[in-house]
Amino acid sequence: MKPIRTGKRLNLRRNEAISFYLCISPWLIGFVLFVLGPMLASLAISVLRWDLLGEASFVGLRNYERVFTRDPLVWQSLKVTTIYTAVYVPMELVGGLALALLMNQKLRIERLLRTVYYLPSVLPGVAFVVLWMWILHPDVGLINTLLSYVGIDGPRWLVDPDWALTALLLMSMWGLGRSMVIYLASLQGIGRQYYEAAAIDGANYWQAFWRITIPMLTPTIYFNLVLSVISTFQTFTSAYVGTDGGPLDSTLFYVLYLFRQAFQFFRMGYASALAWVLFVIILGLTLMIVRSSRRWVFYGGERE
Amino acid sequence: MSRLSRYAGFVVGVILLATACTTPEPQIIERTVEVTKEVEVIVTSVPEVIEKTVEVTKEVEVVVTATPEPLPDGAKIILRVGTGDSGEGLNPHQEIIARFEEENPDILVQLEAVSGRDYYTRLFTQIAAGDAPDIMQIGDDAVPNFVDNGAFLSLDDFISGEFPLDTSIYLPGTLDPGQWEGTQWLLPKDFSPLAVYYNKTIFDDAGVAYPEDGWTWDEFLETAQTLTQDTDGDGDTDIWGAQLTANWTTGFEYFIAAAGGSLISEDGTEFVGYMDSEDAVQAVQFFSDLYNVHKVAPPPADFSLWAGGNSQFGNGQAAMRLFGRWPLAGYRDNPNVDLGMVGVPVGDERANTLFWGGFGIFSGTEHPEAAWRFLRFYAGEQGSDVWKDWAIPPVAAAAEAAGLTEDPIEGVWISELDYLVPRAYVFTPYWGQTADPALRKALETVLIDPDADVQAVMEQAAQEAQNALEDQM
Amino acid sequence: MMAPGSLVDSSTRVGFSARRQRLRIASYAIAIGVAILFLLPLYWMISSSLKPEYQVLASPPVWIPNPVRWANYPEALSYVPFGRYTLNTLSISLLTVLGHVISCTVVAYGFARLRAPGKEALFVVLLATMMLPYPVTMIPIYIGFNTVGWINTILPLVVPAFFGSPFYIFLLRQFFLTIPPELEDAARIDGASLLQTLWYVILPTVSPAMATVAVFSFQTSWNDFLQPLIYLHEQTKYTISLGLSFFRSSYDVRWAYLMAVSFVTMLPIVIVFFLAQRMFIEGITLTGMKG
Repeated sequence: MKPIRTGKRLNLRRNEAISFYLCISPWLIGFVLFVLGPMLASLAISVLRWDLLGEASFVGLRNYERVFTRDPLVWQSLKVTTIYTAVYVPMELVGGLALALLMNQKLRIERLLRTVYYLPSVLPGVAFVVLWMWILHPDVGLINTLLSYVGIDGPRWLVDPDWALTALLLMSMWGLGRSMVIYLASLQGIGRQYYEAAAIDGANYWQAFWRITIPMLTPTIYFNLVLSVISTFQTFTSAYVGTDGGPLDSTLFYVLYLFRQAFQFFRMGYASALAWVLFVIILGLTLMIVRSSRRWVFYGGERE
Repeated sequence: MSRLSRYAGFVVGVILLATACTTPEPQIIERTVEVTKEVEVIVTSVPEVIEKTVEVTKEVEVVVTATPEPLPDGAKIILRVGTGDSGEGLNPHQEIIARFEEENPDILVQLEAVSGRDYYTRLFTQIAAGDAPDIMQIGDDAVPNFVDNGAFLSLDDFISGEFPLDTSIYLPGTLDPGQWEGTQWLLPKDFSPLAVYYNKTIFDDAGVAYPEDGWTWDEFLETAQTLTQDTDGDGDTDIWGAQLTANWTTGFEYFIAAAGGSLISEDGTEFVGYMDSEDAVQAVQFFSDLYNVHKVAPPPADFSLWAGGNSQFGNGQAAMRLFGRWPLAGYRDNPNVDLGMVGVPVGDERANTLFWGGFGIFSGTEHPEAAWRFLRFYAGEQGSDVWKDWAIPPVAAAAEAAGLTEDPIEGVWISELDYLVPRAYVFTPYWGQTADPALRKALETVLIDPDADVQAVMEQAAQEAQNALEDQM
Repeated sequence: MMAPGSLVDSSTRVGFSARRQRLRIASYAIAIGVAILFLLPLYWMISSSLKPEYQVLASPPVWIPNPVRWANYPEALSYVPFGRYTLNTLSISLLTVLGHVISCTVVAYGFARLRAPGKEALFVVLLATMMLPYPVTMIPIYIGFNTVGWINTILPLVVPAFFGSPFYIFLLRQFFLTIPPELEDAARIDGASLLQTLWYVILPTVSPAMATVAVFSFQTSWNDFLQPLIYLHEQTKYTISLGLSFFRSSYDVRWAYLMAVSFVTMLPIVIVFFLAQRMFIEGITLTGMKG
C-alpha cells in the first residue's frame, strides 16, 4: 500500500505545480513583455547620459554617484516623501477602517452615504487636485472662508512652505473612500457565526472588535498597508498639478523630482538612476512588511 | 438572467463597441528614386593625406509632392501638426488648415493638440521614438535644445527655394526667436511682449490720470500707491495698485533688463557677477518692495500657477496688471474691467522681452516639401489673415491692414516690439536646468519672507546656478 | 449589542436596546457629519460650474451663483467633442475591465490555492513590479509599442490588462485567502472537476471581490491621463481625461468649464458604484459555512 500512496502523492504535487504555473501564465508572460524588458532597459539607461533628443553616452556609475553624494535635492525629496508617507499611511488605514465600520451598520441611508464617501475618489486626478487648489486658495478658497467665519486667519496653504505639505495631506484625505470600500467588502465577509459565538459567550463590543474583527481583517490591513506604502511613496499627480514641488521645494516629492529630471531637464539617465534607487528603497520597506506579516496576519483560508 | 448569459452579453457588448471605434487607414504613395551626389572624402590611411571627390549613388524613397499634381483617388499626403494650444485657441489652427486644404487638395492636415506642460511630455516621447509630428510647435526657450539635437530641418533652403518666403514681411523681432546660430529653424506662430493693463474705472473713481507711454518706475510706483485703497475701512486692502508677476522667472527678465543688468555673461559661462550684480539686486529689491514694503501688489495665491495665480485684476480689484497679451480677450469681455493699455515702465533703460511660439519641421519627416508648403502658408500672409482676428499676426502688413497698429490697445503690443532685448536663454542651452530653478527659488523667497536680505538671496541664487552650470559641462 | 460587522439581530437581547439606540443615533450623527464634510467640496464644484468665469475666483467667494449660468454645460461639453471622447473612453474602459477581471482572478487563484516551488519568490516579484515609478519605464515601453506599430491605437491601453495587473491580483489573492478551502474540498469530494468547482463554488464566493476589481479597474481606466496622452495622437481618439486637459492651458484655468465637465463625467461612475454596491458590498452569499 505505502509505495502506491507515495507515488500518487508525488503526482498530485506535480500536477498542482503545473496547474499553478498555468494559472499564473498570463501574468508571467505579461511580466516578461511589459515589465521585465522595460525594467532592464531603464537599468541600462541609468548608466547612460541621454537627453531624449540626441545621442546617449556611457557614464558608468556617475549618475548613481550623483544621487548619493552631489545632489541635495535628492535628500530633500526623500525627506518630503518619507514624512508624507509616514503620516498618510496610518491616517488612511485608521480613517478608511473607521468609515467602513461606520458604514457597516444597518443605517437606512447607508447606500447613499457610502456613495458620498466614495464619490471623491471617482474624480479624475487632475480635476481632483485642481478643485482642491482652489479650495485651498488663500484668498477666496473654501477652507479659509470657513475659517474666517469662526475668526481664524487661515494660512496661505500652498504658498506657504510650512503648510504646503499639510495642505496636500488634507487634500488626500478626501480620497479615503477607496480604502473604505476595500475594508467594507472584507468586513462583510467575516462570518457572522463568530459574532454569534462571541455573543453567546457574553463578549461586549470592544472585545468582539479586538478579538474577532481585527484579526479577521488582518489580511486586508496587510494588503492596504503594502499597497499604500508603495503607492504613497510614488505620489506624483497632486504635487505635479498642485504645487510643482514648491514653495521652496517643500512639496518636492521624489517621483516629481524624477519626472522633472527626465522631461524638463532632459536627463533621462539620471532619472533612471533615481528610479532604481527608489525601487530599492520601496522593495526594502515592502520586504520588511512582508516578513513581519507572518507574525500578525491571520489567514482563515490558507492551507497549512 | 443566468450568470453565463450575463457574462456573454457583456462580452458581446464590448466587442461591438470595440469594432465601432476602429477607423480605416488612409493611403500614401511612395516611389524609389536614384540620387547621385558628389561627396568630398578625406583619406588618411595612406602616409599622405589625400582629398578627393567621389560620386555616390543611393536609392532614396521619395514621396512625390514637389508640384501639386493630382494624385490617384484616395491617396493623399497626411501631415501631422503638433500644438500645445487648447480649446478655442485651436480655432485659428482649424481655419488655417481648412483654407490650406482647399488650395492644396493633395494634402490632408491632421492637428494633434495637447495643452500646456503635457504637450512637451508627449512630444519628447514621440521624438525619442522617432515618431514626432511633421510640424511641431515649440516655445522660444526650447529652440536651442531642439535644434542642437537635430530635431528640426533647416528652413534656409526652403525659404529661398521653389516655394519662397519673403522674410521682410514680419514685424520686428518676431523671426529672431526662430533663429539659432545663423540659421532659421522655425517660423512664428504667436508672440507677446509685456505691457501694462489698466482698469479705467478704478482710475476714474480715484481721479488719477491714465498712464502714458514712456512712464518711469517712479511714476509707476506713485500711481500704484495712490490707487491702493482700503475702501471699507476694515484694515484689509480692497483695491490693489498693481498685480505683478510673482515667481514667473522669464517674465522677471524685463525688470533686470530695465535696471540695466543681465542675468548671465554674454559667453554664457558666468552667473556670478551678473545675477548678483548691483543692477540685478536693485531690480529684485524694487520688485520685492512693491509686494512687501509699499504693498501695492497682492500676494501670490499659488506658486504653481503662472505668475502666482492672482485674480484681482480680473475681479476689478486691482488697478493695473503687468503681463503678456494672453488674457486680453478675457479682459475685454469682463464686465468688471474697462480696459486700457500702456507700455511697461522705463527703468534705467527702456527694455522689453518677447515670449514666442513657433512651428518647425521635424527632421525625421517623410514629407519635407509638403510640410514646408503648409508652414509657409501658416506663418505667411495667408495664415496671418486668419490670425488677425485672434492675436497679433506676425506679418506686419496684415497687422496694419486690420487696424491693429493704430488700435489704442493692440497697438501697444506692436510698439513695444521696438525695445526688445534678447532673453537669457539665448546665451546658454542650460537655462532651464540652472538659472531658472535658482531664480525661481530666489523670487519665491523674497515673496514669502518680507525680511529676506535681497543681496544674500541673489548671491546664493547666482552660486546655485553656477554650480548647476558647471555640473552640466 | 452592536457587534461590528455583524448582521446579528440583537432585538432579542433585553436591556441592551437603550444602549443600542444611543449608539445608533451617534452613528447617524457622525456619518452624516462626515458626509457633509465630504460633500462640501463637491457642492463648491457644482456651484462653480454654474458661475460665469469671472465669478469663480471672486472675493469674497460667492456661494450661490448669480446669475446661474446653465449655458456653461453645453458650452463646456462642446468645447471639444465630449460625446466622441466618452465613447472612446467607454470602449477602452470596458475592455480593460474585461481583461483585468478574467486574468487577475485566474492568476490570484493560483497564488492563493495552489502550491508550487518558487511561488513565494514569484509573489515578491509581483509586488516588486508595483514599485518602479512609471515615468521611467514609460519610454522603453513606448518604443516597444512603436516597433510593433500599436501607437495611435487603443491596443497599448487595453492589451496589457489581459495579462493581469499586480494590484488586482494581490487584492484577489488576499480575498481568496480569507475563504476557507473546505468549500472547494467538499465540492471535490462530491466529485466535481476543477472547472466545475471554479464555476459553481469559487466564482460565487469571489464575485464580490471581482466586482470590486471591476469597479476599480473601470474607474482607473476612465480617469487615466498619462497613457492616453502618449499613445493616442488623433483627436478623434481622445479620451475624456485628455479632453479635460484642454481647460487647463499653461497660463489659464477655465474653472467653470472644467468643473462642469468633471461633474458630468463623474456621474456614470457614481451611478455604477451606487448600483453595484449591492453586488460587492452587500451581496456576499454566506455559503452555508457551518460554525
